[in-house]
Amino acid sequence: MSSTASVPRSGAHSPQDGGAAVAIRARGLRRTFKGGVDAVRGIDLDVAEGEVFGFLGPNGAGKTTTVRMLCTLLPPTAGSAEVLGVNVLDDPAAVRRRIGVALQEIGLDPLQTGRELLELQCGLYGITGAAARTRTQELLELVGLVEAAERATKTYSGGMKRRLDLASALVHSPGVLFLDEPTTGLDPASRVTIWEEVRRINAQGTTVFLTTQYLEEADQLCNRVAIIDKGLIVAQGTPEELKAQLGHDVVSVALAGADIDATKAAIGELDGLERVVGERETLDLYLEDGPASIAEIVRRLDSAQIRVGAISLARPSLDDVFLRATGRRLEGQEDAQQVQAP
Amino acid sequence: MTEVLLLGRRAVREVIRLPAATIPTLFIPLFFLAVNIGQISKTFPSSTPFLHGQGYVGFQLPVSLMFAVCTATSGLALVTEIDLGYFDKLLVAPIRRASIIFGRLAADLVRGLAVATLVLLVALAFGMKMRSGAGGALVLIVLAALWGVAYAGIGMLIALRTRNVQATNASFLIFFPLLFLTPNFVPFNRLTPLMEALARANPVSYVIEGLRSLVLEGWVIHKLAICLGVIVLTGIVLTWLSVRAIETYDR
Repeated sequence: MSSTASVPRSGAHSPQDGGAAVAIRARGLRRTFKGGVDAVRGIDLDVAEGEVFGFLGPNGAGKTTTVRMLCTLLPPTAGSAEVLGVNVLDDPAAVRRRIGVALQEIGLDPLQTGRELLELQCGLYGITGAAARTRTQELLELVGLVEAAERATKTYSGGMKRRLDLASALVHSPGVLFLDEPTTGLDPASRVTIWEEVRRINAQGTTVFLTTQYLEEADQLCNRVAIIDKGLIVAQGTPEELKAQLGHDVVSVALAGADIDATKAAIGELDGLERVVGERETLDLYLEDGPASIAEIVRRLDSAQIRVGAISLARPSLDDVFLRATGRRLEGQEDAQQVQAP
Repeated sequence: MTEVLLLGRRAVREVIRLPAATIPTLFIPLFFLAVNIGQISKTFPSSTPFLHGQGYVGFQLPVSLMFAVCTATSGLALVTEIDLGYFDKLLVAPIRRASIIFGRLAADLVRGLAVATLVLLVALAFGMKMRSGAGGALVLIVLAALWGVAYAGIGMLIALRTRNVQATNASFLIFFPLLFLTPNFVPFNRLTPLMEALARANPVSYVIEGLRSLVLEGWVIHKLAICLGVIVLTGIVLTWLSVRAIETYDR
């Protein structure tokens, strides 16, 4: 079902994190919608308390459906899930008291002011009167919206809305915070601001379950990531573990019109070459020692009189992890032609 | 209870901040009131027995009140929240889902009281007199508003079932046959036999009859009791269906 890089699998504590308690556990979690669409096809997850866990995948992979099941918004068709030790089906109200949720669609009432919205949210979590006003002020300060607090949320920018939505998920200081694509559609500056907020929230001890389709975001924020594709987890581990599974270096040859098969043939076998992945205008060579191989690659291409656009060297990225796990790139989502090393 | 009050207060604030959602709902009842009186008052002068010495405006007022309070506003507000994602935010809060419905109904009550008062004032300006006096006017307004609350369940039910703005908006159309298959222009005994049978089978007829009795006849207890009974029963059934729809939403 899934390839796993030393993920905590059983018991109340995660061996990987030196005995940290498990915040989220799912076993065989599945959701089939009417019409037989299998959005999530039986996934296992273990998220340790206090970590930022990234749930990575393209649109339609099953990320949001998984989050909605874990948040009690959608019952699983099969399997089980626990959040902070509470089964989502047995006691959904108890789960809701323990979690904060900021879903992909920013959940704000456009006619309320930022302050009204947070005070209402406090009230829904049993915080009323002076305590609600104090908590609201704290959160407005936390997300930098004090000056805009008396304005209707419909006048907020996308970044401000996202920050207020984040604040509204924190009114009751939840043990687990679910963030479903919190930066989708935001400009780079707003994205960085959200990242800072996530780090700050996590530093205060909140476990963060973050879905994203941005590899950089997962790399920047997450202690561990799971990659989901077509409803199945295809890779799981820390970003470094996942990248290490791929090999060491990637030498990318920009073909610039050169024939891909001729280029592959010209390069042929190299010391430490693990595999070759050809995609559109690029040929990626996964090598143990990239710098030492570049000169040889250039020599062989020159001998074969093949002119290429550029040759670059990079460490494997999560994009490469995704490519290996699914056979295509996450961003752009073009099918890649994966080729075994000769 | 706290959550109902909180959500109710929010919904009422919404009514106040978005008058554009309420004002158009007043246009049709006031238009019908004016047009019907203008066209029919000569046909039915105050000497007509069923008018009890009043002008036709008193006979028509309950129909206009029905128009004013029966809206799809709550359903539309609900489906808009579903669209915007705020509904999910409420569902994931540790509250009873039914409180979302009751919060909306609180706003319907406030809106109903306001528009019923306005329509009544317009009718009084047309020369209508309340046979049951000021107390009767108050009861008239409250009963009309309560009917609006009871009827709001249809809009919310359609909103929750379809999650579609157009379908929810169209739920208002359901009210047209309910309103016109009643003794809306003349009493039961002046309708054709078929129309009379249909009108007598239509619960809305008894709400109109009850409200009308306050205007034209004074305190006719059995008519008011039936009117209240229909309102309560309709409210219980439609609210129960809405609560059931929200409890089973995505389940």
